[in-house]
Formats: sequence, structure tokens, C-alpha cells
Amino acid sequence: MARIVRRVFLLGLLSFFAVSFWTVSFAKEIKIGVIGPMQFVQGISQWNGAQLAAEEINARGGVQVGDEKMQIRLIRADSNELLNTTDGPSAMDRLMTRDKVDFVLGGFRTEAVLVMQDIAMEHKKIFIGIGPAHADLCTRVATDYDTYKYWFRGSPFNSALLGRTSFLNLGYVAGVLKETLNIPQIKVAFVGEKAAWVDPVAKAAQDVIPKMGMELVGVWRPSERATDVTAELSAIQRSGAHIIFTIFSSSVGITFARQAGELEIPAMQVGVNVEAQKDGFWDATQGMGNYAMTVSIYARGLEYNDLTKPFVENYIKKFGETPTAMADTYAAIAYMLVPAIEKTGTLDSDKLVAFLENQECKVPSGVVALEKDAEGRPLHDLRWGPGYLTYAGFQWQDGALKGVWPNKWKAGPQAPEITYKGIVPLKIPPWMIEKYKK
Amino acid sequence: MELILDIVVSSIISGSIYALLAIGFSLVFGVARIVNIAHTAFYMVAAYCIYYVTRKTGCHPGWAMIAAVALVTLLGMLCYQLFVKPIREKEGAVLIATIALAMAMQEAMVIQFTGTYLTMPALVKGYFAVLGVKIFYQQLLTFCAALVILFLLWALLMKTRLGSAIRSTAQDREVANLMGINEARVALWTVGISVGLAALTGAIVVPLTVLDPHMWMHPLIMMMAVVVLGGLGSLKGSFIAAFILGFVESLVVFLIPMGSYLKNSAALTVMIVVLLIRPEGLFGISFEEER
Amino acid sequence: MMRHFRIYFRKLFVVFRNEILVLPSRVVVLLFFLLLLLLPLFAGDPYLLRILTLTSIFAILAASWDLLSGFTGQMNFGHALFFGVGAYTAALVNLHLHIPPWGSIPIGAVGAVLAGLVIGIPCLRLRGTYLALTTLAFPIILMGIIFALSDFTGGEKGISGHASLAGSRVGDYYVAVVAMLGLCTIMWKITDSNTGIILHAIREDELAVRASGINTTRYKLLAFCLSGFFAGVSGGLYAHFMRMAGPSTLDVSMSFQIVIWSMFGGVMTIYGPVGAVFIIVPLLEFFRFWQELRMLMFAGVVLLILLYMPDGLFRWLRDKIEKTCPRCKLRNIATRHTCRVCNAPLD
Repeated sequence: MARIVRRVFLLGLLSFFAVSFWTVSFAKEIKIGVIGPMQFVQGISQWNGAQLAAEEINARGGVQVGDEKMQIRLIRADSNELLNTTDGPSAMDRLMTRDKVDFVLGGFRTEAVLVMQDIAMEHKKIFIGIGPAHADLCTRVATDYDTYKYWFRGSPFNSALLGRTSFLNLGYVAGVLKETLNIPQIKVAFVGEKAAWVDPVAKAAQDVIPKMGMELVGVWRPSERATDVTAELSAIQRSGAHIIFTIFSSSVGITFARQAGELEIPAMQVGVNVEAQKDGFWDATQGMGNYAMTVSIYARGLEYNDLTKPFVENYIKKFGETPTAMADTYAAIAYMLVPAIEKTGTLDSDKLVAFLENQECKVPSGVVALEKDAEGRPLHDLRWGPGYLTYAGFQWQDGALKGVWPNKWKAGPQAPEITYKGIVPLKIPPWMIEKYKK
Repeated sequence: MELILDIVVSSIISGSIYALLAIGFSLVFGVARIVNIAHTAFYMVAAYCIYYVTRKTGCHPGWAMIAAVALVTLLGMLCYQLFVKPIREKEGAVLIATIALAMAMQEAMVIQFTGTYLTMPALVKGYFAVLGVKIFYQQLLTFCAALVILFLLWALLMKTRLGSAIRSTAQDREVANLMGINEARVALWTVGISVGLAALTGAIVVPLTVLDPHMWMHPLIMMMAVVVLGGLGSLKGSFIAAFILGFVESLVVFLIPMGSYLKNSAALTVMIVVLLIRPEGLFGISFEEER
Repeated sequence: MMRHFRIYFRKLFVVFRNEILVLPSRVVVLLFFLLLLLLPLFAGDPYLLRILTLTSIFAILAASWDLLSGFTGQMNFGHALFFGVGAYTAALVNLHLHIPPWGSIPIGAVGAVLAGLVIGIPCLRLRGTYLALTTLAFPIILMGIIFALSDFTGGEKGISGHASLAGSRVGDYYVAVVAMLGLCTIMWKITDSNTGIILHAIREDELAVRASGINTTRYKLLAFCLSGFFAGVSGGLYAHFMRMAGPSTLDVSMSFQIVIWSMFGGVMTIYGPVGAVFIIVPLLEFFRFWQELRMLMFAGVVLLILLYMPDGLFRWLRDKIEKTCPRCKLRNIATRHTCRVCNAPLD
């Protein structure tokens, strides 16, 4: 008797497992992997953006793939890129072979993404980069299209274009200073952290700044984790610079803004300061980071188009902070991938690649259009320009990050004037006005 | 002229911080023969403690600093008792244990505070200008605090009985034992003082720096360079070497602005060059193995 | 003809029974070899293969550290230097001179040997902790130089786009595993040879060795160079397997990891670090589920091991399962009461 009971029990257990295995493995789901440094704010943002998109889409029934509706299932992979570059490729491997994802989004540190890209391409899965800004990731697509065609850059645009936007910001601020403070020749000090992606910008600055009619008075390259930049700041002040062109992506951005504010250096900080893009910047600089500027994508109150406000507000409502470029996993899923799947009716990577290449997608930060290089080969890189993506220049004004550029900006003499909704006038620090308005 | 003043000011300030750290490290090595890789990790924990206490209880950072120093010193002594004392005889194992402790502390900080960069407000806000060089009041405060601590330490070592005991154990462990000094207890006290020094350094540096769970690595390297340059076990050597390397760093930052990231490498190269000429450091004792 | 084969196999079998099966540690090593070599036949999961390939590469690295710091007593806290130099050299040579991996990796190793000389010579006069802390400095200096010459070395992006090891995951696996088994055996043989004895003696008492008329300088430099060579090979393998060689290969934490692995497994034994790497690296990967606690648990495990098995895990294990005969010094399985060779009582 007992033996029979045991047998029945075992059989029941096995069939239970079989059924659940069956349903799990044959469930109609689109598996999207999100890979990034999940213990850090970059990875968390990537995951959050993806979650927001997946929940929204699943709530309205899922994705229509041909005849059936499929739900999106997100799979989180910690690449730990910031601490250990070997973990990233291993995590990508897992996503491909164990979790068998259909699509991958994310990435951050170029050194690791180059390898992760190779793995995803080997498995012929579409990998949309949300985070890494190095141009090489896309030039690979042009030089070896058949291997790398599954790679797309989702956000932000590459560092060369980031440089271009920063220079436009610089020009704008220089114009404002010239007008309000009557400064005949604007002097610019270049301060960029010692990192490989800054080198081309530093080189470009030495060309571009004189061409813009300004004088480049010095180039400083502190360490990206520098905790004391008073030396650099003293030297900059001595050089008489009116504008400090900053290119920071790490903690030096906080240190620099804070110490410049504390020392009341009479110069405007313009450029890229990734730490200044975050809500926590005000706190981190103890309020001294007022008037610091940075190029960024999202902030409360700024709208690129009608998709921006709902995204920013929903993100803030759900996660309590302003989204950064990393949160564009939302746009990649909701406005790039899913519409492509629905329009082509398939999950097949090759067909989707062919479709995405020729599409322009409206996203909360503008319009995504994919570039080709000078020889007409697809780069799968983002197009820059009015009507596409320009992002915006922001300034910290009394505790809030406000958009200040483009403010009546013309991309060219025949181009239309652009001012995004929510742009406010630039503010000059009082100690600077005091110094120059004599 | 202003450039020279800038360099001098900058090197004095960073030198005093390195001196504090290096002397603590040297002390525990000279007395207990422990290479404490976790020394700067304690410095980091103290800094985070202060941040946490100030944020959570809103009380004045001064109290938070006292609390943090006390807590971290206790933590240090506890770690020593539990993890280092049983394996003290094997230097290699002690080394690994301290590395593991440092990693554990780093991870604990990551879990508690995540990798976001945090800062503390300055105790005294504002700056003043001396001959055209702007100096923060906080930097001055830090420097004075460093001098005061160094003076107190000197007084402790030279004028008190415990200090005597520490110095004699450092000179010759076996004979100190023979003279009736409880060597194990002296070692424990030294560990406490050393970790306390690290915590104090954290306390006075916190308003000037950015907190992140990896902040212990860079000072560790510089501190070890200072200690090696000055001669292991020699407090005077550590003190002087700290200012030498601080000076080298400032030189690099000011004279080669394009290469300010090279300041680490330059300081380390100086250390290696000196070691080539004098393998026991500037003030180290040559026949160490005979002790 | 067949008789020759039979005699040959008989001999092999006798050797097998009397030399290998007799000691559990040798059986384990044999099983280890077999398992690694035959694994892809029944578990071809690319993810698993990747983990084991990385593990094999790091095993070579850890063993090379042991050769230098365990046997010769020259505590090297900057072993990542050899790894990084090997990786960068192999990648650069492959990328710019188009030499395939089986050429670029040895060239990378030679580069690491030169690096070994560069750091060995200043370190000749240093001892103990001074040596350890000074060696720590070298990878950092090199990293500064790499960032300074970022046009050539790619700065923090590193070098990428060079060839892969063998073109397929299984191929990569076999190259790494065969390299590991081969090189570690060679290192093991070195430690057993005359040179190895001298190196060991240098660790114990350098003055006595000098007094015996041996030129310790030459042997110390030899140790640096050999260690550098093997570590350089491991670096080259890494660069070609990951298809990336970046400044992360020179990190201070990489140097620390190597020291931890070797100490964990047991210094002065080549098998200790190898075993430790094979336990730690897959374990860390497995701990991926508890991402936040991963390193904390690792640190905790290391501390516990140090408390209870300060000579290293594998030494402790080996001592538990084997005993040394007091008379003839040969090892016996611990359950025996008399030595298998000289019949002396073992208790």
C-alpha cells in the first residue's frame, strides 16, 4: 500500500515538473536581456527604463508578433564592467546560451562592450547599445557588415557628436557673456579628465575654439577620480579664463564644480559633466555646484516632443529620480524594437535588422535615424541634428537642472530657429558679473 | 612666484595626510610586524561612518567624527583579535588576511551605500587668499589637525610609559618580552592606535574629498610608497618621505597639467629610484632580519 | 609484434598501479587531467567552456606566481605586470604585424620576460616586505605609461580586434587546457629539478646559498624570468581568448587576486594555486546569483581558510589523506600503518 502511494506521489511530482517545464519553455514570450553594471546607477537606470517599457507594453496586452500576442520578459544580467572586465563577456554568454534571449540592450564600458558585442554577434542576436559612446562600436558595422549588422546604437550619440553639441553650447555661452559683460575676446580653459574618450575632444578643442573666435588659454587633464582640483583651479583663475570647458564623466565632476563654486572662480563651466546630469549633484556639491552646465538628455520641464513629458513624468513617478541616458532602454524597447517587431511580424533578427536600418523612430529625446558612413556603408549610428537628436544644454539654477540650450539656435544660416519647450535663459554667477561688469 | 607657492601649499597639505597614514602603518609594522593592507580601508570606513551618522542623526559633524573614530578603532582591534592574532607568525597569511579584510570592508560599503559618490559639507566654509593663492579654511583646518595629531602621537611615544613600551617592542621584541613587557598586549594597543590614526585621518579628510567604496586604493598605494621610501618601521622616515612624495605629486600636477594623471606613477618612480640606491629606504634599518 | 604491445601495456599498467593508484593525490591529479580533457565530449555548453577556459588561463598565472614567490620567496605583489605585458604585446604584435596567435603569444611571453628583468634587477637588493611593496608599484607605473601613450595602446579602451585563439569555443578551450596542463607540468618539473632545489634554498636562507658558492643573483633573475615567461603566456592566451587587452589586466586588484589564489591553495606547491583557481573562479561565477554578497562571501571564505588552514587548502587536504614515512620520506596513503616501500611504521 505504502509503495503504491509513494509511486503515485512520485509520478504526480514528475508530471507536475514536466507540465511546468513544458509551459515555461513553450510559453509565448519575447526574452529581452538587459546587461549592465547592475550594482551601479548606470545599470540600475538601464534596468529601470526597460522595466517601465516592458510593464507598459505587457499591460496593454503584449507585442503583436504576426498572429499571436507575446509578453515581454526581461532578463537582468550584471556585467560588473566597472570593476572587472572579464565578468561582462561571461554574463553575455549566459544570456545567449543559458537564458537564450532574443534581444539584448545595454552595455557601458567600451572595453567590455567590444567583447560583449562579439559574443552577441556570434549568436546573431540584436544588441542595442544604451550607454557606450565610442565611435568604434559602429565603425565595426561598416567594415564588417555581415558580422556586426545586429548591433545598433540606441543612446546616447557617440562621443564625437557629444563634443559637437558641447562646442555649440560653448558658442552659445560665449555669445551671452560677450553681450551681457562686454568682453571683447573670450578666453577658454579646457579641463578634461584623463580618459581615452576625452582625447579626441581635447584635440578637436585646440582646432575648434580658435575658429570660434575664442582663445584657448590652457589644457588641464586631471585624474577622473581626483579629489582635489584646487591646483588646477588656481592655475585656471590665473590664466584669466572666462569659460571653463569641462569634459568629465566621473567623480572629478563633483569635486571640480564644488571647489570652483567654493572658490568663486569667475568663469562659466560649460561642457559635459556626467555627475551634473544626476539629481544627486546638488547634494553632492553641497549646493556649490550652482551655475554649472552640462549636456544631458532629460530633465524635469524640458520637452523635445510630445513623447518626452509622459516618459519623464512616469519615470520620476515610478523611480523617484530624473531619467538619464541609460534609461533610454525604454525608448529602445518601446519605440524601436517593438514597433519593428509588430510591423515585420517576426522575431527573426535578419528581417528586423533590414527593417530597422531604414526606419526613423520617434523617441522621447527626438528622432532616431541611422547613419551611413562616407562610403555609404551602414554604421547603425545615431544621426545628429535639428529634427533628429541634439540633446540639450542644462544649467543648475538654484537647486534645479534647467535647460538653457538650444535657445533660438540656428543650425545653419538657412535653418529654422530652434528652442525646445522648457528652455530658460542662462544665468551668470553673481561673482562673475561683479568682476567683469566694471 | 605664485606657482611655487601653489606647489608648496599643495604638497604640504597632501604630505600631511600621507604622513598621518604612513606613520600609522609604519607603527603597526614596526611593533607587530603586520603589513596592514586594510589600513586605508579603515580610513574609508571611518569616513563613511561620519557621513552616515551626520546624515542620520543630523548632529554636528564633530560628534560624528568622535563616534566614528571610536567605532573604527574598536572594529580594528576586533578584526585583529579574530583574524590576525591567530596567524601572526606567518607573515604571508597575515598579508592575505588584511587584503581579505579590506575587500570585505569595501563590499560592505558598496552594499550599504552603493557606488554613488557622496560628499560631506566642510566644517568651516569659505576660503582666504595668501599671496594670490586661494586656500580653503577647511584645508587649513585639516593641516592644523594633522599637525596636532602628529604632535600628540609624538608625545605619546616619547613621554608616556605605553609609548616607551611600544618603542622598545619595536626595537627588539624578544628582549622587550624578557624585560617584562606584555608583548601581545602592546601589539593590541599599537593596532588600536594605528587604526585610530587611520580613522582620524578619515575624519579630517572627509570634508575635502569624495566618498566612494574604492577610495581606499589610491591612498594605499601612495602610503605604501611613502613607507617604503622612508624605511619600514621608521616613523621619522615616514614623516619626511610623506612630504617628499607629496611634493613630487604637486610638481607633476602643476608643471605638467596635461599629465596630472601621471602623479601616481611619478611618485612611485621616485620611490623605486631611491630604493635602487638605498634598499632599506631613507631611514630604514639595514639588518632587519637580524632582529 | 603483439607481444611487444602486451609487454608495453603490462609495464604501463604496473607503473600505473604501483605509482599512481597508490597515492590518492596522484589519482586526483589523473582524474583532473582526464576530466578536463574529456569534458567537451559530454557537456558542450559554451558558457561552461568559457568559464573553464578562463580558469585554465588564470591557473597558469597563479602557478607562475607560486614559482617566483612561493619557491624563491620573492614576494611579488605586482604579478599583474607580466600578465598585462604579455596580453598587450601579444595583441599588438597580432594586430599590427599580423602574426598568428601561436606566434604572438610566445612573443608576448618574451616581452613579459623582459619586464621580469626590468623589475628583477632593482628588486635584487630588496627583501621581504620592501620587495612586496615595491613590486606593487610596477604595474601602476606601466598603467600610467599606457595612458600616456594612448594613441598607440588605446588608453583605457585597450586593444581589440585581434585574432581569436582557435576560432571556436571548443578550440579555445582545448588550447587553454592543454597549455595549462603542459605548462603546469613543466613548472612542476622545474621545481623538482636542481634549479628548483636552489630556488627553494634561496627562499629558506639566501646567505647560506651564497656561502655555498652559488650565484644567487643569477638564480633570482632566472626565477623572475621564468615566472614572467609563464605569466606572459597566460596573458597572451587571455588577450586572444577575450579578443581584448586592456588596462584592467594591470589592475592592483588583479595582483591581489593572484596572491589570494595562491595563498589559498598553498604556496610552494604548483598544484595548490592551480586547484585554488579551479575552485574560486567557477565559485565566484556561480555566486552571481547573490551579486551583492559575492565578494563579501569570498572575503569571508578566505579569512576562514586562513584561520583554519594557514598553509593553504590543498596542503591541508593532502596532509589529511597522506602521511610521510619518517625513514624514507616517501608519501603514503594515510590509512596505511607501514610504509609501502621500506615497511617502517608510520605512526
